[in-house]
Amino acid sequence: MSAETQRPGFALQAVRALPPLVLLGFLAALPLFNLGANSVKVLFLTFVSIAASVGWNILGGFAGQVSFGFAVFYGLGAYTTAVGINEGLSPYLTYPLAAAVAAVASLLVGLPTFRLRGPYFAIATIGVSEATRVIMSNLEFTGGASGYRITEHVPFRQTEHYYTGLALATVAVLISIAVRRSRFGLGLRAIRDDQDAAADTGVNPYAYKLAAHALAAALTGAAGGVYARYAAFIDPEGVFGFQRSVGILLMPVIGGVNTIWGPVIGGGVYGVIEEELVARFPQIHLLLYGALVMLIILFEPGGVLGLLQRARRLVLRRRVASWQPS
Amino acid sequence: MAALLNIEDLTKYFFGLAALDRVSFEIREGEIVGLIGPNGAGKTTLFSIIAGSQPPTSGKITFEGRDFTGVKSFRAVHAGIARTHQIPKPFLSMTVSENVEVGLRFGRSRTTRNLGKEALEILELVGIPSLAGMAAVALSVGDLKRLELARTLAARPRLLLCDEVCAGLTESEMQSILGLLRRIQSLGTTIVYVEHNLRAIVSTCHHVIVLNFGKKLAEGPPEKMQNDPAVIEAYIGKKARV
Repeated sequence: MSAETQRPGFALQAVRALPPLVLLGFLAALPLFNLGANSVKVLFLTFVSIAASVGWNILGGFAGQVSFGFAVFYGLGAYTTAVGINEGLSPYLTYPLAAAVAAVASLLVGLPTFRLRGPYFAIATIGVSEATRVIMSNLEFTGGASGYRITEHVPFRQTEHYYTGLALATVAVLISIAVRRSRFGLGLRAIRDDQDAAADTGVNPYAYKLAAHALAAALTGAAGGVYARYAAFIDPEGVFGFQRSVGILLMPVIGGVNTIWGPVIGGGVYGVIEEELVARFPQIHLLLYGALVMLIILFEPGGVLGLLQRARRLVLRRRVASWQPS
Repeated sequence: MAALLNIEDLTKYFFGLAALDRVSFEIREGEIVGLIGPNGAGKTTLFSIIAGSQPPTSGKITFEGRDFTGVKSFRAVHAGIARTHQIPKPFLSMTVSENVEVGLRFGRSRTTRNLGKEALEILELVGIPSLAGMAAVALSVGDLKRLELARTLAARPRLLLCDEVCAGLTESEMQSILGLLRRIQSLGTTIVYVEHNLRAIVSTCHHVIVLNFGKKLAEGPPEKMQNDPAVIEAYIGKKARV
């Protein structure tokens, strides 16, 4: 009984890969059906959210290092793309650049903060995030707190943005799957379970956490970049705000942390939740976010995915119970 | 036989308290060495310093002729020093087999092929092959100790540091673990073994080092240590004068 034979066979893998592929095909064909501009916008924003959510999950889920500071990478990605486009670069060249800038920043953040563990790491990331926001609010060459405008001398094509977002989200999920199955992913799991035991088994926790952080930051940075080009105007409060950090963390938590599809589901439903909460309770929506996180952690730490699995088990059990020998 | 590990004047202070005070000894290749001493003698501290979990305050560690002082634990594992924990530290989200695979893939050999097969071989060696697919969370204490040993062995150590593998086990479980240690030694691994139980030490070890209050009290063959007055005093107390 080797691990190779324990892994699902090719046929089963193909069956499991079918629903995501069908969904991808559906989403790819969707613009052909002349959706309203608003629906396309919502979907585009959802793709961007998914990319950041899946990225965060590589560090926060797979490696178990909960960060409240991912707005730093989202914002840096957004500003990198914005400045890049205004300097005459092709937008598609600015996305890898945004990812690279975010990854480098993640090393600067990670080198000191990964000396800390658990809640102390989480608290440190809040500090870094707020500090970055304040710096960006005072940086003159990007317009400081009043924001930065992107000027493109091409007509606005929403479908192009839609496909860029879809491609980014797909790449993010593929990277997440590759990490999960790799030696790297196994090392991250070991660190999540017990960092000391991982080190005593030959895993370099510091290097692995830095690498996971960089990969997560790169995806989040690219998401920020893709968003910035669409928005055409960004400001520190929007892309570097604490609310952004909380949002990026909340999506995987809602969907199901430390899974492949949880962050995707979370990114999918987050837009709706955010819209509802912010629109109805503009004064206390952050409080409601907090309450939501507490409810999830108390009652279903597995998020939506955990809830679905629980429901499936319940249905299966009922089926077994009602089964009668003929 | 050449010295595999050389410890010179190893000292560790915790806030002015000497947990280890100028301890020196050497471990020869191929032996099972018992490390004994009363509670708080510094056995586990010595272990974690050799394994790289914490740096010494002063002193020198030489492994296979190379300076190894203050080397990080994962580097020690890559070089061939691996430890078990007194209280097992399994990766609880993984199956038994996956736990062992971490050792195989990240240890000294960095195995990439036939992981499942090699993991199973190691699980057979420690006597829990039937648990390969089970979640580590579901294991009993005795099985967790075997898993801890299996994962450490999977890193293919040249020097295996075992911290009280027998604590909390029944007599028959203990005998089977001791037999296992002899088996591992006969397969070419040098073992340093921390133990409270003197009987286990005498029946298994070639050489015994006795620690007390952070200092090396004595060392020698197990039978001799068992009757050494200084050792008896450290364990039981001074003989009363009547």
